[in-house]
Amino acid sequence: MKKIFRDTCILASLMILIVFAFSIIWAGITQEIMLVFQLFGLAFMISIVNNIFDQITSLSIIYSYLVKYILVTSLVIMYGFIVGWFYRTNFWMAFIYVTIVFVLAYFLELSVTKKDIDYINEKIKKRRMQ
Amino acid sequence: MKIITRKVDNQPLTIIVEYPKMDKEYERIIEKIKHMDVHFIGKMEDKSTRIDISDVYYFETVERKVFLYTRKDVFRFDGNMADLDEMTINTELVRVSRTCIMNTEHLKEIRQIKSSHLEAIMDNDEIIIVSRKYLKDIKNVFRRSSV
Repeated sequence: MKKIFRDTCILASLMILIVFAFSIIWAGITQEIMLVFQLFGLAFMISIVNNIFDQITSLSIIYSYLVKYILVTSLVIMYGFIVGWFYRTNFWMAFIYVTIVFVLAYFLELSVTKKDIDYINEKIKKRRMQ
Repeated sequence: MKIITRKVDNQPLTIIVEYPKMDKEYERIIEKIKHMDVHFIGKMEDKSTRIDISDVYYFETVERKVFLYTRKDVFRFDGNMADLDEMTINTELVRVSRTCIMNTEHLKEIRQIKSSHLEAIMDNDEIIIVSRKYLKDIKNVFRRSSV
């Protein structure tokens, strides 16, 4: 199921990129097309930051999410100012977007971690019975 | 599976594996046999000791020095974590944090403490802190063993 979900996301991303890339030929760079490419750019930068952070730190789940939240929100705000999504009056919206994503990701990671621990403990139990 | 043993004088221990057709299970058995021969040299008070991989509980770096822990003893190991990472590929040993490589053969349980830290309880009741990012690697050791 996890693999199907991951593959669906990758396939959908590729389809969006290809369809929008072709749309440039007919419609030029409209605001919608630009937004999609800007979102991909932001996702790419967040992935790099996330990856480097995981490589160099070894924090508990809560602290790791807190530090990542601060890093990612700062990145989203800066990027938003550069590409013109945010202004002085509306940049607080970044906190809402990032919070929603982080809360979902946090609970998803907790559940995945629990599943992995249960799998390992089950295997140990089986090994001991052999 | 048949196990045939015979005494042969003046020969090192030789294991011959006969199989009808190579598959994952046979590959795993052969890998396990190969890794049984892996050993480390640990030092304690200027005395060197050969330690078999199955006797290792974990390796830990403290101030750039690597220590090897067995059930009861602690030895100094001349080498670094990168060397150990290479030496322990496809064995039951797996990195569990930046400073520790643990032998899953002696693992009794993994616990999550208050949704934050992970702890590995060894069969001598020692506790090792596990970093979440290495949890998948531990899982893969067990997944590989059950193929």
